[in-house]
Amino acid sequence: MVLISAVRDYINRMLQDISGMKVLILDSHTVSIVSVGYSQSELLQKEVFLVELVDSIYKSKEPMSHLKAVYFLRPTSENIQHLRQQLASPRFGEYHLFFSNILKDTQIHNLADADEQEVVQQIQEFYADFVAIDPYHFTLNMPSNHIYMLPAVVDPSNSQHFCDRVVDGIASIFLALKRRPIIRYQRNSDIAKRIAQETAKLMYQQESGLFDFRRMEVSPLLLVIDRRDDPVTPLLNQWTYQAMVHELIGIQDNKVDLRNIGKLPKDQQEVVLSSEQDAFFKANMYENFGDIGMNIKRLVDEFQQISKSNQSIQTIEDMAKFVDKYPEYRKMHGNVSKHVTLVTEMSKIVEERKLMLVSETEQELACNGGQVAAFEAVTNLLNNESVSDIDRLRLVMLYALRYEKESPVQLMQLFNKLASRSAKYKPGLVQFVLKQAGVDKRTGDLFGNRDLLNIARNMARGLKGVENVYTQHQPLLFQTMESISKGRLRDVDYPYVGNHFQQGRPQEVVIFIVGGTTYEESRSVALQNASNSGIRFILGGSVVLNSKRFLKDLEEAQRIARSSTAVI
Amino acid sequence: MATRNRTVVYRRHRDAVKSVRAPLFSSASGSGGPVIEMASLLGSNRSSYAPLSTEDPGPSRDAFTVGLPPSWVDDSEQVAANIQRARAKMAELVKAHAKALMPSFEDGKEDQHLIEALTQEITDILRRSEKRLQKLSASGSAEDSNIRKNVQRSLATDLQNLSVDLRRKQSTYLKRLQQQKEGPDGVDLEMNLNGNKSRLEDDEFSDVGFNEQQTVKIKKGQQEREREINQVVQSVNELAQIMKDLSVLVIDQGTIVDRIDYNIQTVAVSVDEGLKQLQKAERTQKKGGMVRCATVLVIMCFVMLVLLILKEILF
Repeated sequence: MVLISAVRDYINRMLQDISGMKVLILDSHTVSIVSVGYSQSELLQKEVFLVELVDSIYKSKEPMSHLKAVYFLRPTSENIQHLRQQLASPRFGEYHLFFSNILKDTQIHNLADADEQEVVQQIQEFYADFVAIDPYHFTLNMPSNHIYMLPAVVDPSNSQHFCDRVVDGIASIFLALKRRPIIRYQRNSDIAKRIAQETAKLMYQQESGLFDFRRMEVSPLLLVIDRRDDPVTPLLNQWTYQAMVHELIGIQDNKVDLRNIGKLPKDQQEVVLSSEQDAFFKANMYENFGDIGMNIKRLVDEFQQISKSNQSIQTIEDMAKFVDKYPEYRKMHGNVSKHVTLVTEMSKIVEERKLMLVSETEQELACNGGQVAAFEAVTNLLNNESVSDIDRLRLVMLYALRYEKESPVQLMQLFNKLASRSAKYKPGLVQFVLKQAGVDKRTGDLFGNRDLLNIARNMARGLKGVENVYTQHQPLLFQTMESISKGRLRDVDYPYVGNHFQQGRPQEVVIFIVGGTTYEESRSVALQNASNSGIRFILGGSVVLNSKRFLKDLEEAQRIARSSTAVI
Repeated sequence: MATRNRTVVYRRHRDAVKSVRAPLFSSASGSGGPVIEMASLLGSNRSSYAPLSTEDPGPSRDAFTVGLPPSWVDDSEQVAANIQRARAKMAELVKAHAKALMPSFEDGKEDQHLIEALTQEITDILRRSEKRLQKLSASGSAEDSNIRKNVQRSLATDLQNLSVDLRRKQSTYLKRLQQQKEGPDGVDLEMNLNGNKSRLEDDEFSDVGFNEQQTVKIKKGQQEREREINQVVQSVNELAQIMKDLSVLVIDQGTIVDRIDYNIQTVAVSVDEGLKQLQKAERTQKKGGMVRCATVLVIMCFVMLVLLILKEILF
């Protein structure tokens, strides 16, 4: 709740003091930021009658001086350029400029130079520079996410750009929460270290006045970790509602695009899945597929009851009641069709790709031991004709990540089989993943086989049996959160920046995963927050990953790495 | 929720820039030459990013007066004012309802009239506003169309909420009225009072069934109820009509249509589409047979004219 309400508060404050008809001008990033928290009808209530993008606005030249312009942009140099052009020949009566992050003095001077007509009434910094997709989950929607996998020397300017954007996003989170954190990072990740140090510099040196908030007894904690410490979670197939929709179809800014999936009626081609606006989704987003099916059936039955009673209109009272209840009825109809469509499409995909079979093996690979059995299972699935290429690749990757040291011969056999079966994916990608995120590169105990306590725990779990084979995986983040709750996060693995130190347990923790989060991890965070342990966790990442996106990042990084070594 | 206001810094810098620019132009109102020289000098001294404007800022600023809003804004303001008035009237109606429901010794006819009049007025206002709202989309230029559509949507939502509200208030009032009249055992209370009195007087006729007075009463009650029912039917019809017309305009909350980014996308798409259509139309018009025919005819006319003149000259 806290992230979404922060964004909404900022937007409310922007609009409330300005009277009259307004036009809201956004850029391609702030559109996402605003759209996930604020709806079009709410904008209309605030008398904002036009929304435009800053780069397309001067395609039309008609002056509309009875409107007041409210700009909400990121403080990038392109946006400042656009603004300068638009201030030089203003179309609107008044200009109110809001920026989502800290402005440099040169940028303010640039704007002041261009504002000859003196149309700008105010310039403010409102720190909503993140996309708040769920109450405790945010993302930065970064386009070239793969940069984090490459050492900085390969592409220094893009690396710097990546780090800057991440630092800006993290800074705006803490400004919105009005806190200044203690910062820790994952030791063996260069990029995590760099981001942590630059954030510390920003918060404690460069803009220390801005971040000087009232100190509570316990400072919050910012933990910067690397995606490559847990490469297994994005590769797994998911079976809980929100994660499953993202894995099989794809969610972007809480919207699902169903246009490529099949022939659907026009109002179901793009749908919104937001826990704030859809009560059914809020109740079911973390439930597994079987339970969702039952709940949707119940929803459909309820709906059928209501529509039956609507059809039998006998008396005047019935007619009056129908007219009263019609808007709610229509809304419910839309909602029910949306969920039924989603579940139908997902069932189709599960059927086509034989995902129940594949996922069983995936979960075994991720959670339980038994190298021989695993090898056999993976070989069988590779031989199975109906398994798709991407699933074959994922299986081999998971096997490789788990058993990379145990039996190299068998691993080679799998590579060869993959190469022969799959036209699109080469085993080189698997080797790249091992180079990036192999057992030598990881800090955490990903498979629970490093220290005795974890081995014992795994054995106990194996003996007890699991409730659901398909959802037995716990992301590594869960263990990290547990360690933080107990105050036992090892300094050796996750050192503090500079001379920070924290006594005891923090009460607010922001975990930033460089390289992207997954919906499985955000589910873990939400469930942890709901368990009232006294600590509030917030999760964020550079993007929200599914297996397709993670593999694409790997391919991009591999391509660049290859071409750069070729040059050198 | 932290914010930072940079307006002060901005204004300071803007004023500084203005004071540097202003003495430049105060002396060079007509001569463009020296102004350009001085401007370029200044430009090279400062590390300025944009070329200084060499125009006299005076007239341009006057020209940029606060423009008058387009005409449809008047319509939308009228509708908004109507909605306010309808809200005030609804408050009055609620009071009148409450008064009519209170037990009184009079007949309550004037209360009924007041309620009818108010309801009629409100329904009229709503209907007129709705018609005006429909007209809003027709007028105005293409540029404005997005703004107009959004203004329409917001007013339509308000109107719809008002009509639903009116509907609900009416139905609760009628329900309570009926409850009052009938009483707990489904018998007309008024009738009961009179019946009791007459029973005291004519004891021996009490079990003969309804006497004349009571029959008349029943008939009048039925007529009244019929009238009320007709009224209800009529207002339900009207409001249903209004709601149907408005529901096209109103956005469903929580759907994709309510998303800001979706609306920006569709604008971009439709603007592109519009451009394509226009270009296609231009091309077909240029290539059009009409134009060719016309040019051929004109040329032939000239040729004939020339031949005629030649004929006259030669003969």
